[in-house]
Amino acid sequence: MRYLKLLTLFWQTSLAARMEYRTAFALAFLEAGLEAAGKLFGVYLFYANGFDLGGWRWQEALVVLGLASLLDAFFIGVFNPNLRRISEMVQDGTLDFVLLKPASSQFWVSVQQFAAEGVPFVLMSLGLLGYAGAVAGLDAAGWLRLGLGAAAALLLAYAVAFLFATTSIWFVKIFNVVYFLNTIVWTGQYPVQAYSRPFRLFMTFVLPVYFMTTAPAEVALARLPASWLLVVFAVAGGVLVLSRAFWRFALRFYASASS
Amino acid sequence: MRWLVRKAWTLVAVYFAYMLEYRGEIFFWMLSGITPFFFMSAWTAAANQGLTGYDANDYARYFFAVFVARQLGIVWAHWNMSEDVRSGRFSFRLLQPLDPVWHYLADHVGERGVRLPMLAVVGLVFAWLYPEALVWPGAERAALGLVAVGLAFGVNFFASYVVGLLALWLEDATSIYNLWYVAMLFFSGMLAPLALYPDPVRQVLAWTPFPHLVYLPAAIWSGLEADATRGLLTLLAWNLFFFTLGRLLWHLGRRHYSAMGA
Repeated sequence: MRYLKLLTLFWQTSLAARMEYRTAFALAFLEAGLEAAGKLFGVYLFYANGFDLGGWRWQEALVVLGLASLLDAFFIGVFNPNLRRISEMVQDGTLDFVLLKPASSQFWVSVQQFAAEGVPFVLMSLGLLGYAGAVAGLDAAGWLRLGLGAAAALLLAYAVAFLFATTSIWFVKIFNVVYFLNTIVWTGQYPVQAYSRPFRLFMTFVLPVYFMTTAPAEVALARLPASWLLVVFAVAGGVLVLSRAFWRFALRFYASASS
Repeated sequence: MRWLVRKAWTLVAVYFAYMLEYRGEIFFWMLSGITPFFFMSAWTAAANQGLTGYDANDYARYFFAVFVARQLGIVWAHWNMSEDVRSGRFSFRLLQPLDPVWHYLADHVGERGVRLPMLAVVGLVFAWLYPEALVWPGAERAALGLVAVGLAFGVNFFASYVVGLLALWLEDATSIYNLWYVAMLFFSGMLAPLALYPDPVRQVLAWTPFPHLVYLPAAIWSGLEADATRGLLTLLAWNLFFFTLGRLLWHLGRRHYSAMGA
């Protein structure tokens, strides 16, 4: 409950601060629209040339695209601004103040910022996901599986991103790592079956993009049994626990910039 | 003339040293440019099913060239300028007897010095993984591709400069550049060789700078069909356009600058 209150406070102040830059917010709508159009165009290119992305109907492939867009939107709105902030705080030593607060430091550094520019992207991706689910003919249970799968995917994406961001305790200037992750999620726009085997293995076992977009879509579309949701949640939970342990471990090496 | 060369050299050397400090970041930045290889993988799978007119080697060659072309064309002047204006650092730039644009340009040139060796490493790894895909295009094509990349960098840089100057009015102009960046992602030929784009789309795109920024050099290097003369002329025209617009905004914007934080 206390954390919910904190979250509201954080996001209210972020929103107020960002409202200084109203043009940026207005432009974000344009950008979100352009990006959605571009992403659809990307899928269209494959199908127009007769490639079915490794055995997917285009309606189904759009569900994967929608999930990837949703993750993208969360990166823009929440993950990127916060995780970049971590390396800034390590650089100028203000991480000290966070560590002194009587609240989980991981929670604090993960949600403190909220970029309003993410909102149009979230809306656009929800629209895309809704459209994809409708044309793919999801039933009520399918929508439920899609919702749960999306939640697991978001958790997993956050956990992986946080793992990478934590390394800034040692490397300090490393915020481009977050862009690297954006790229990785970008590759999840298409089902992993579209890629050749080494890429597929990489996307499943090294950077678990498979579990972020393809797997939840497969569960929602009943290409995989619903029990696979448990696998997706298990992977997300596992990485989450790992990220937490790694953060605590890393903090032991944090030497504070001022001392 | 000699002091000019010395001045330019000093500026570039300073920014090279500065960027060397950020090598880790540049490395990850470069890694985040590996998307073309994923498209290579997908289109190769399509080629193996007998679709499209290219074979696996064509795709490997093309997308590697796309990767290189994109890496050499990366700019961030809009970002630095927005930061400088917002933090008030721009005031110090104005005090120097040197047009600030040289700072931003030297920053980019110096950074290429750090990025190129890393690019070479990626090239070696690629050559090791796909030995039969790499074919020397011949000195003439290699040079022509470099000219295209140079012109493409010019367009990118001046567009970024124009957006950066808008920060004098808007304080944070980086979001405007995002529009340019998104268009680049989808319409520059990174998704697929242009021949696979639908005809009407291709005809419209030919007038915009986007396909010439990436597809043109990549196609020249990898031996795909490209109208080099038309492409280079289009790039030249866009260079002129953004350069003129930039200088105009610079003269107007200087008077508008309110020196935040001063």
